[in-house]
Amino acid sequence: MDLDLNTDQHMFRETSARFMQDQCPLTKVRALAEHATGVEPDYITQAAELGWFSLLVPEDLGGGTLGEHGLLDAVIVAEELGKAMQPGPFLPHNVVIHALAESGSAQQQADILPALMAGEQLASWALATPAGNWDLDNSSVTVSEAGDSYVLNGAKGFVQDAHLADWLLVTAPVAGGLGQFLVAAKTPGVRLEALTSFDLGRRFSHVHFADVAVPASALVGIAGAAADAVERQFQIALALQNAETLGLMEWLFTAMVDYSRERIAFGRPIGSFQALKHIMADQALVLETCRAGAAALARVVAEQGEDAGEVASMTKAFIGEQAVEMAQQSLQIHGGIGCTWEFDLHLFLRRASVNSALYGAPGWHRERLCRYHGL
Amino acid sequence: MSVDQQELQEYRARARAWLQANLTRGHAAERGHGSESDEDIAQEREIMAKICDAGYAGINVPKEYGGQGLTSAHLKVFNEEARDYNIPTGGVTLAIVMPTLLKHGSEAQKKRYVPKMLRGEERWVQLFSEPGAGSDLAGLQTRAEQQADGSWLLNGQKVWTTGAAHAEFGVCLARTDWDALKHEGISFFIVDLHAEGVTVRPIREINGGASFCEEFLDNVRLPADNLVGELGQGWAIANYLLSIERGGGGGDGPADSHMRGTRTKQLSPDLVAYARKRGVAKDSDIRQLIATAHINDYMYNVLVDRVSKGIGEGKMDPTSASYIKHGLGLLQPARAKIAMEVAGAGAIAWTAEQEAEAITSTQYLNCRVYSIAGGSMQIQRNIISERILGLPREPAFDRGIPFREVQKRAKSWTGKV
Repeated sequence: MDLDLNTDQHMFRETSARFMQDQCPLTKVRALAEHATGVEPDYITQAAELGWFSLLVPEDLGGGTLGEHGLLDAVIVAEELGKAMQPGPFLPHNVVIHALAESGSAQQQADILPALMAGEQLASWALATPAGNWDLDNSSVTVSEAGDSYVLNGAKGFVQDAHLADWLLVTAPVAGGLGQFLVAAKTPGVRLEALTSFDLGRRFSHVHFADVAVPASALVGIAGAAADAVERQFQIALALQNAETLGLMEWLFTAMVDYSRERIAFGRPIGSFQALKHIMADQALVLETCRAGAAALARVVAEQGEDAGEVASMTKAFIGEQAVEMAQQSLQIHGGIGCTWEFDLHLFLRRASVNSALYGAPGWHRERLCRYHGL
Repeated sequence: MSVDQQELQEYRARARAWLQANLTRGHAAERGHGSESDEDIAQEREIMAKICDAGYAGINVPKEYGGQGLTSAHLKVFNEEARDYNIPTGGVTLAIVMPTLLKHGSEAQKKRYVPKMLRGEERWVQLFSEPGAGSDLAGLQTRAEQQADGSWLLNGQKVWTTGAAHAEFGVCLARTDWDALKHEGISFFIVDLHAEGVTVRPIREINGGASFCEEFLDNVRLPADNLVGELGQGWAIANYLLSIERGGGGGDGPADSHMRGTRTKQLSPDLVAYARKRGVAKDSDIRQLIATAHINDYMYNVLVDRVSKGIGEGKMDPTSASYIKHGLGLLQPARAKIAMEVAGAGAIAWTAEQEAEAITSTQYLNCRVYSIAGGSMQIQRNIISERILGLPREPAFDRGIPFREVQKRAKSWTGKV
């Protein structure tokens, strides 16, 4: 994606890609999709050893990066995850890690963060409503204060890999603003409602909160003052997501071009026919544009540019939509075989669709863009 | 050969002082659009002469051809200092035709023509496209027949020539051998546009303007030494010229054009203005259109940044410039269409005061210029799919046989091989 990777980053990319191929090739992805958990604990701990969960943490808290910004390393992994259609909570897990590194209490950073970075415990982010509304200040979970503890009621939607999570970062309105709570998944009153997911390699749950009592020490940051932190987390999530989606597009694009070179009809490879060639040329332009966009987004979020929020929404709207379109065109060019369960294309098509809606659909982001500009 | 930094600093200081004292600052004038008036052209010539006489034209052009004989480092310094000034280039004369002549012209040609190019005394155009040869430029049929005395007789027609009405000379592609293969029977000539037999007519465009001309060439006599390069070398020279035009520096290539660096941080100002005026700024569909326009603009700009930088640093194949061209060809019609929608009834009829509406409708009429000219979007798709993605070509029916035969078969095309 980024044309300016340093030597270490190139190696990191290769190592990560090889790990994915060795530990979880597509045959395994499919097998795990039938399995209860969808990802193996060994995979997670080995990924942690590669450094996948230390990238968004500063060195003084045990983190490590390869270049100037850990996020630029993290998107390298994200893109490879997309290309290899990997299971696992890389994105939400890293967002929660970032939140703790950035705004967590000393206790959270000492007691919980190391386990998350080592992959011994997993976390996910509970942000959206069960109706699929990604407004950062949505109130599908309400918080009431009870002495020096808080009580959560309501539900959060589409929490990725919640069934694997030891910890859930819950974002909700409190004390006149936003607050974030790191809730132990086993806290009484927390109930997971497992969903059937369109993405075969990834599980989602709605999480219900019935009088869930959490101590003040569960707060990440100050109650009522988390809006900026939440916006930044959202931007980081979008940077990681768009990198992953780009990876999906790379696979879908390469698959269709390669197929068109091999498939023979009417005496020649079908890729020699202009009608197909022209579709692929347009998709090549789209792919190059998405590469540019994903790289630019990662950079502006990493550098905390003042227009990072705007760029995040513009990029998500574009890449989210184009990935779905590319999946459709790739399917079209593959013809009948693309419609078989056995062929891998649908795995990528499914994830492209899910990524399009997760963390806000293109239309929602376009509206966010208008509001960003005061329209 | 490195240049003395001290010398360059002094050169910069002198150039800066001269520019400040002699020219006016302003946005770079729209180049080569052919819609300038006689007064505009006369003024351009004056400024070019002034720049030339002061020693700032043809900075890295050898002295024997009227230039200053300095280095490209000097040229870079001058261009940096001149960035904010109105520096005219005589349409395509200095940026495109002159480099071509410097590379392929004879000594006599360079000495005769380059000095007056630099001084703005003689303006040049490209006589390339024909009514029957646009995308398939090599299929051109303007003919040049050699006479007993060595001169050439030129007959044919050219079209889409920007600025010909104000020019003195043209470089012209003509077929000199009908029995040769299509690309091998073409030669490159210098044509005096005021010679007998040359008729230049402006073309009235759909937007009401007349930036382009058509030229009728009826028994135009070209002196023998108006041939540039070797007989039959025309296609190679034309390709050299076209590569400069596409972005070898300072040309009208899309990477240098108006779209680059024009990303406005404001949300599509023209569209927002329409929406507010019409009272539809809260309508969801209008907001989606406005956002889409802004996003497309942003994404195109990051694409151009990536591809330009990638090519410049040798990380991407130069053919990737097609992404820039093709992207613009897709972007502009989409943008113009959105603008027409958001303008609403303003797009169908407007009052004299409604300048924005007039501009929007004109831009709509103009919006396919980049998807048609300079390599249409269909050609770009072929280039991208065949030369970048490496997909196999389709059979061609105009290769390996004399051009005369190509034309004959094309006219009786049955689809059977």
